[in-house]
Amino acid sequence: MRKEPEVFINHTKFFLVLFFLFGVGVQYNYAQISNYVSSVKVGDAKEKTPLAISADLFSSENISQIDIAFKTFGKNEYLKREMLLTGNTASVTIPADEIQPPYLEYYIILSLKDGTSQTYPLGVDHGVAPIQIPISAVSEKDKQILVLSPDAGEMLTQHDMLISISFVKAPDQVDISKTKIYLNDQDVSSFAVNAGDLLVISGDNFPSNLGFGSLLLKVEVYDKSGNIYHSISRSFQLVTEELAAQAGAQWKYYGSLRGESRNENYNSASTWYNNLGADFTGTVDQWRLNGSVYLTSEEKSNRQPYNRYSATVQNGDWLDLKFGDAFPRFPSLIMDGKRVRGFSGALNFGAFNIQTSFGETVRNVEGELLEKYTAANAPLGSNIISINQLKYPGYQYGKVNMGTYNRNVFVLRPSFGSGENFQFGLTYLHSKDDPGSIEFGARPQENLVFGSDLMFAFDDQNVMFTSQAAFSLVNKDISSGNLSDAQIDSVFGPNSTYSNVDPGTVKKYKDLISKFITVNQYLGPWNPQELSSFAGEAALSLNYFDNTLRTSYIYRGNDYQSFGQSFLRTDVKGINFIDRARFMDNKLFVSIGYESLNDNLQKTKIATTTFETISASVSYFPRTDFPNVTIGYNRYANNNGLVLADTLKNRNAMFAVDDITDRVSLAMSYDFIAGVRHSSSFSFTTSSRTDNSLAKANATFNMSSLNVTSYWTSQLMSLCGIVYSASEISGQPFNYLTITVGGKYRLLENKLQLSASLSPSFGDFERQALELVADYNVLANLNLVFQTRIFRIPGSATNSIIGLTTRLSI
Amino acid sequence: MKWKNLILAFTLPLLVGFISGGKSSAPSDTPVALVKKIVKDVKYKKENVSDWEAAKTGLPLKDGEEVKTGSKSLALILFTDGSGLLRVRENAILHIYGQKENQRMNKNTFVQKGLVGFDVKKQAENEEFKFTTPTVVASIRGTGGFLDYSDDSTFTMSLDSGDVALDFTGVGGGGGMLHSRHTVTINSRGQFYFRQQNDNDRNLSNSTRQTEVKKIKINTDSGDLEINYYGSENR
Repeated sequence: MRKEPEVFINHTKFFLVLFFLFGVGVQYNYAQISNYVSSVKVGDAKEKTPLAISADLFSSENISQIDIAFKTFGKNEYLKREMLLTGNTASVTIPADEIQPPYLEYYIILSLKDGTSQTYPLGVDHGVAPIQIPISAVSEKDKQILVLSPDAGEMLTQHDMLISISFVKAPDQVDISKTKIYLNDQDVSSFAVNAGDLLVISGDNFPSNLGFGSLLLKVEVYDKSGNIYHSISRSFQLVTEELAAQAGAQWKYYGSLRGESRNENYNSASTWYNNLGADFTGTVDQWRLNGSVYLTSEEKSNRQPYNRYSATVQNGDWLDLKFGDAFPRFPSLIMDGKRVRGFSGALNFGAFNIQTSFGETVRNVEGELLEKYTAANAPLGSNIISINQLKYPGYQYGKVNMGTYNRNVFVLRPSFGSGENFQFGLTYLHSKDDPGSIEFGARPQENLVFGSDLMFAFDDQNVMFTSQAAFSLVNKDISSGNLSDAQIDSVFGPNSTYSNVDPGTVKKYKDLISKFITVNQYLGPWNPQELSSFAGEAALSLNYFDNTLRTSYIYRGNDYQSFGQSFLRTDVKGINFIDRARFMDNKLFVSIGYESLNDNLQKTKIATTTFETISASVSYFPRTDFPNVTIGYNRYANNNGLVLADTLKNRNAMFAVDDITDRVSLAMSYDFIAGVRHSSSFSFTTSSRTDNSLAKANATFNMSSLNVTSYWTSQLMSLCGIVYSASEISGQPFNYLTITVGGKYRLLENKLQLSASLSPSFGDFERQALELVADYNVLANLNLVFQTRIFRIPGSATNSIIGLTTRLSI
Repeated sequence: MKWKNLILAFTLPLLVGFISGGKSSAPSDTPVALVKKIVKDVKYKKENVSDWEAAKTGLPLKDGEEVKTGSKSLALILFTDGSGLLRVRENAILHIYGQKENQRMNKNTFVQKGLVGFDVKKQAENEEFKFTTPTVVASIRGTGGFLDYSDDSTFTMSLDSGDVALDFTGVGGGGGMLHSRHTVTINSRGQFYFRQQNDNDRNLSNSTRQTEVKKIKINTDSGDLEINYYGSENR
């Protein structure tokens, strides 16, 4: 009788494995095809933990900038951040406060040197679904099973080696004796000593064949029925006594040097790239120093900087000074995600804090004079500007390729309160183009923003209110400087255009405002009373009864602009409501969201469009041997009320917006043992857009992907993946299938790691991609990496990248 | 010494009595703490046993057991509920007490003498983390700093972060709150002085965080001699 459940479980497991391995081979996909991005790596996606995302590029040739657009569950608006381009990898870390269950959606925007752009996945702007990353909630089980030692990233010698797992807070259903402990996939459970609610492996009874370097500790905890209850993993370093003594000195330092040389053969053009990167970190007491340099042959004076430099000095939480390139974070309406080359720093005293940042955000890039004209024969055109007559005698105008002005920014934010229960801040931002920085350019600009922010919280932050507001002024052409008194007299006062306005009053205000920003006819907004350049938002969060409820309101006028925040959507206002509920002892998570936004706040458009988003998601994280499952539904409805009737006479019909997109997604992950350990994931997305506007851009999109990683031995790992996409956009079908097979093999006592992957695509998109990588650990701190990528597009071209990278750690 | 002995004589039995009398469940074999690291001479003693034994890395410490460090020695002690870390400096003696009820654990560390650096995480509503000395009981929610009970019965506690509620058990009685970046000193007569952390306090707090061994290698005709020690400048 007791056998029956086991048989059932085994059958269930068997069918699940079959389902994962074969059941999805019929349709589906995940359509991450791209001419530029070969793959995207995503870090451990856990609630309120910064999430690292990096994109490997087939080639960085032709790419000028890479941004990532992402949004959390229930939101309509994507937030955007620039990705750091180093070699053929673009990387970014999404801040912890944006990482919320059940999932994060993102896509990558590749800006190309010819001025066009492309998304990854391809066609997001035409209805293709973005990529979804399931975010696992902080599990109660993380608080029940504790790894007391080692700490994450800790450096230990064989003598000090201690692994200790505490079950003091574990529930009775956990069977401590069944716990499995792995070090780099080697089962070391037999070395553990059980001491009450502790499992301990200490230096004396440690296996001696582990070798030095990074070790991955994995702990699998089982319940009394033998089902896996929880799994924890943690990396740490096993080092020699000498290295530990050095690390233990009062001055601790470590660093790395990385050099790369690679050749890209792309569309018959062969290009060499050389990069050099160096990082250094030193600590003494509470002080932490960090330096970082990245130099690349892609740095050119006619582009924005590719090189990066930074030096940081920190002391605990109270001092943070950064010199060089930084991405300072101020209230998001004013500055967030913008690179500043200069100085950024903060002093946090608790009751009073001050944060500042100043430096260059845009480098000057000189334009080009294409043709010269006299005043008589100069044509009209946006690229026709006046030129220096002393330098070009006889000519007053020139046709130019516009350059880019040097732009600097200064931001200051004093704040009061530590931010634990209360904080009030005031922010001032001033940013200005330098008109003298280039010869061929037009319309240098200037920006001024004032803002305030407030947060207060009660009951251990279970009740939290946050708000921010900002007002901006922009001068869209400061080349002529401030208005002169004579110009004011000619426009205001008796016998002028505005005879009822006292020119003296105008001069008084001009003298006052010009201390902050250039005052002339290009200064705006002209309708501040309509809140056109005002932006504000407020949110209230409540966390009770296993429910996290957040409701917020946003308002952003159509003229609001901050040069510290390039990615803000303006001309929008509305509400957002999200509720995340936890059930069944944190095994089941249900999330619902509703957002309603509308534009046309200052009546600058023909009609007002309402953007409505309804989101729902159910996630199941069982403690038994069954896959984690997340099912999501989103409905995006956009409508501006304009009708299509009688389109020949109804000129407004062409501006009609009336579309609805329904999207359903399913994501599953499952670790199972079938001979050896396998880790699998499966995702499926289907979306359908009905477009009732004149464009009739209807779209359907189905994609699914399956990946299985198998750990055959501690030396051999394999990866199999299949992606299928079937879409139809405006009546054009586009279907393809991509299969990926690959593996990694370690040899020469783990000093050499060989990896290979082959990834052919069939159907409407045909390409074969092959990647070979050899990573040789020459010395304990010196690695050589040889990488070859070949990708062939039948009937078009065969492109290749061959690169050698050297990494030296000190 | 007279005052110190008198206070010790009254307080220790009271404390032990309180801890043992308060146990609602039978003493389990649940360790309260664990020795994470040892430098040089660290000993421990089981409850109701008179002999000290050498401690080893990974040693579980149960309710009522004692830890003693020798000259230039150090012990790092972790609480098994993940609530905190103690850095026990040289020539210190402390007693570890703890009661587990359901999945909660109340901890009390009696510092008989010596310097102890601590990092204690925020405690749950119904959990306690206390330091006790012959003159003071300090209730901690979540904080970092150091505590010193010197041979002349002077108690010093300094906080880098968080708050601590203090109950003075000396002849004067009373109590108070010690806040972040502040220090309190209580002499053997129960007189107490609060002040902002000064350079000495900050240096001492930083030094308690130095937990690494220094080494000297001496080349001799008969081979290399390696001396491991815990530098005195760290104290």
